[in-house]
Amino acid sequence: MTEFVHPEVLVSCDWVEQNRSQTDSIRIVESDEDILLYEQGHIAGAVKLDWTTDLQDAVVRDYVSQARFEELCAERGISNETIVVFYGDKNNWWACYAFWVFKLFGHEKCLIMNGSRKKWELDKRPMTREASKYPRGIYKAKEPNNSIRAFRDEVLAHMQARKPLVDVRSPGEYTGEMLHMPDYPQEGALRAGHIPGAVNVPWSRACNDDGTFKSRDQLEQLYLVEQQLKPSDEVIAYCRIGERSSLTWYVLTYLLGFSKVKNYDGSWTEWGNLVGAPIEKTYAYKK
Amino acid sequence: MSKLDAIIEEFQDLDARDRLELLLDFAEKLAELPAAYEAERDAGLHRVPECMTPTFLWVECISGRVSIHAYVAPEAPTVKGFVSILVEAFNGTRPDEVATVPTDLLHRLGLAELLGMNRLRGLNAVQQRLKNEIGKASVLAVKG
Repeated sequence: MTEFVHPEVLVSCDWVEQNRSQTDSIRIVESDEDILLYEQGHIAGAVKLDWTTDLQDAVVRDYVSQARFEELCAERGISNETIVVFYGDKNNWWACYAFWVFKLFGHEKCLIMNGSRKKWELDKRPMTREASKYPRGIYKAKEPNNSIRAFRDEVLAHMQARKPLVDVRSPGEYTGEMLHMPDYPQEGALRAGHIPGAVNVPWSRACNDDGTFKSRDQLEQLYLVEQQLKPSDEVIAYCRIGERSSLTWYVLTYLLGFSKVKNYDGSWTEWGNLVGAPIEKTYAYKK
Repeated sequence: MSKLDAIIEEFQDLDARDRLELLLDFAEKLAELPAAYEAERDAGLHRVPECMTPTFLWVECISGRVSIHAYVAPEAPTVKGFVSILVEAFNGTRPDEVATVPTDLLHRLGLAELLGMNRLRGLNAVQQRLKNEIGKASVLAVKG
């Protein structure tokens, strides 16, 4: 099987099990949709990082400040040189989201545990309820690296220039049949459809049932053959709030070696509410 | 004091970390779904569609008392914990008491700040569903 373009940012559950005790250099971070999963049981030594209460500002719709990011790393015993391994529920959506935010603040050594929490549990690997505590880290965050983050005006210009946009939501959300992800009602958008010109590649097509990523050949078939994307393309990925698209951002950037991918974290909850934003709706109600 | 008020008070006395622990206790004591309901669950009936995780609620009114059965997928302990609070608070009460569930229950329990904006909707839908179902069930009970 062909190796991923950047295999160094992906580790297996085995690797994590074998290396998790090296807490001087490695920190395992669990980031979940469900706020109780970590308490219910986690990989021994892992610390919890909540994508909303830790990574997002409580007032403004944005990420935390550099200073706050430095503090949340230091509290978890993460220093600039620490190797941070992310894993979580929902096929690593939130792990990839946290990975992306760490990259935004310039953290160098970030890894994803292939298979997510799902595979760890399927393998019946040990879990603990004991919360981990480490000596404070020393952290200096960089200025946010906006080369991986797209803002709305940029998305509009990107769309007008007919550059590739990948909508990673479900087909129903993409066509405009529904305003929200199946089972996530009325998640704050007033209009349904997609950004004109965007192609639809649901995030889930990049994953196997056990939570691992598909092989490089399968991923190339999906993005390079079916969608005719090239690794040199400037691509913007979006979903509803930027979490599923951070998984796609990770896949394109690291597993397939795309060099200019941005995640649009405003995503549909911004675009679908913007006055005057162009929208393409391909769903028509049958009479 | 109603059972729900007692639970709210219990949560309000705790700091954030202990509130999570208490919610986990609730999640773990949610009764197993009786076998008689499994076929309906497996057929996808009684699902709360707004919840991202498979969540099923059966709300009945038996001899003037509320009877709730629930199933929540094990990978969603937060939803399970919240459903368990509702079951604990309202199983065996009169149907009209369900109507008194405050719409800001998650805030009163001190859970809203731990959940963040994006996660509140699914859980709010569970309590709305409970209210709607009990409304329907009590009407049926009166008719029947």
